[in-house]
Amino acid sequence: MAGATATQADAVPFPSVAWFQRLADLMNADRVKHEHLGYVDCVAQFTVLDGGPGRTPWSVQITFEEFAAVDVREARPADAARADFALEATLGTWRAMIESIAGGGGRPALDQTLNHLSHMGTPVRVVSDDPLRRDLYFRYNQSLQEFVNASSAFRTGFSS
Amino acid sequence: MAPVTRAGAAQPLPPPPTLTEQGLERYETTFRQHYQEWAVILQRNAERLARGQYSLHWLDTDKANWGRRAKPSSRGLTYTDINNVKPYGDMPVEADWRNFTARGSVREPYRHEMPTIEEYTVLDRGEVWADNVITLYEEAKARQWNATRDIPWHELEPLPEDLEKATCQLCTFLTEVEFVAGDFPAKWMYRIPQDFLEVKSFLATQIMDEARHQEVFRKRAIAGGGLMHAAPGFEWALQAILQAPTHTMGTFLLNLLGEGLVLSIFRSGEMIAKTHVDKEIFRRCLQDEARHVSYGVMQFKYYLDTHANREQALEEMHRFADVGEQVILSAFTEPALVESVAVLLGGGLEHIDNGMEGMIKLWSMLIDEYLQRCERAGFPRRGRCTIPQQMPWRAA
Repeated sequence: MAGATATQADAVPFPSVAWFQRLADLMNADRVKHEHLGYVDCVAQFTVLDGGPGRTPWSVQITFEEFAAVDVREARPADAARADFALEATLGTWRAMIESIAGGGGRPALDQTLNHLSHMGTPVRVVSDDPLRRDLYFRYNQSLQEFVNASSAFRTGFSS
Repeated sequence: MAPVTRAGAAQPLPPPPTLTEQGLERYETTFRQHYQEWAVILQRNAERLARGQYSLHWLDTDKANWGRRAKPSSRGLTYTDINNVKPYGDMPVEADWRNFTARGSVREPYRHEMPTIEEYTVLDRGEVWADNVITLYEEAKARQWNATRDIPWHELEPLPEDLEKATCQLCTFLTEVEFVAGDFPAKWMYRIPQDFLEVKSFLATQIMDEARHQEVFRKRAIAGGGLMHAAPGFEWALQAILQAPTHTMGTFLLNLLGEGLVLSIFRSGEMIAKTHVDKEIFRRCLQDEARHVSYGVMQFKYYLDTHANREQALEEMHRFADVGEQVILSAFTEPALVESVAVLLGGGLEHIDNGMEGMIKLWSMLIDEYLQRCERAGFPRRGRCTIPQQMPWRAA
């Protein structure tokens, strides 16, 4: 069974560009599902606040266009303005979400959806300097949820 | 001479004409008034047909924009793609075609022979346009969903009674809200002339969105136990939205303020949902709502940016917001809404106090988001907002 584990040799490490690229590949391979959900046009940043070297922040930006994830790249702080919004959380928060998705076979527990985690500003914080660009997170919420839900299709490895 | 009858032998008066009869009579009268003009066209065409002749004037492309073919982009052929073909994208600042003719068609030679639709009264582009309206229209079409098919209704299971009642009460409230959210764009759509066709197209999607929302909340309530209580505070607020004096004022109240708050309720609904069915409902709805909020912000911005007297426009909108915020406040202090959400936030009736603590946080957040959207539109409201930034709640 695929899913989130810390020990599998074939696991894709989290956080990493490779992990998000795998999600992008899965999204692009399942075009029918995403055509049904509709256009997604935004640059979303996922930040793991303690996911970089020495527990520094680590970020990745995913560019969504139409029904596809067309670009995945690691982002430095100077790249922040490129993203329409950023979802920031600790590794522990992301790990709990990913493990919940894996445990639910692609559907997280009620308290582990992106909106649930972010709505009150904690443990996931939605960051944007423009309310219109922040609202893209809401306009495409179902697609973004499906994007991360696809992580149940492969094994995730965590460094700690 | 009419027969004379004595009072005692009077026959019953004939029944008054029904509303249908009255309406039909007015329609016939109007027809007869207009018929003089119609008849000229009718006679000309009928005589030509009788002579066995063709007009073929429509083949003349001298005054047409013939041959400039629109090219599809990666998504197909969008309004943006066809508007890139000159002059089809040229939109008047003030619409003066108050009929059904298509922008960019050969219509000037026929102007004097065509009717004026008196109901088209919103002629100022500043009252309706938003720079994102075409994008939102395309997105709305692409992100439609089906409340019958796309919600996993078969997974719906009964909740504990207090949570089920709270969920059904929230859905009852939202059903009321969605009725006005559909009626407002419908009311204005038919007042907007065809030259602003992109706006009318977007409003049509909003009407469909709101129809689907009232459908899904009504279904959720009746599938879970039943519809619960209507609330007077809602009704006054909804009436105030529907009766807004201008389209921009109404869309500010409905889309920027009202739907901004409803978007927060939907996000809260997703967060506090006790079933995957409810999660799915709220997640789908919040996406639609965010589009409407986005239109509201950008329509308001366009109105202010293009107004001939920005200071005057700002002051009028402040005056309107002073009232509008109060009517929205009356909705968002109704126990049928506040208490049902608090019960769901707290996890049950016995934890309603905990839920109210959550409501206090939500309140501050949603007022701040409202003020941010105002600022984004160019409307500095932070120092004048009449809604308290802290929820008026004192724990017992």
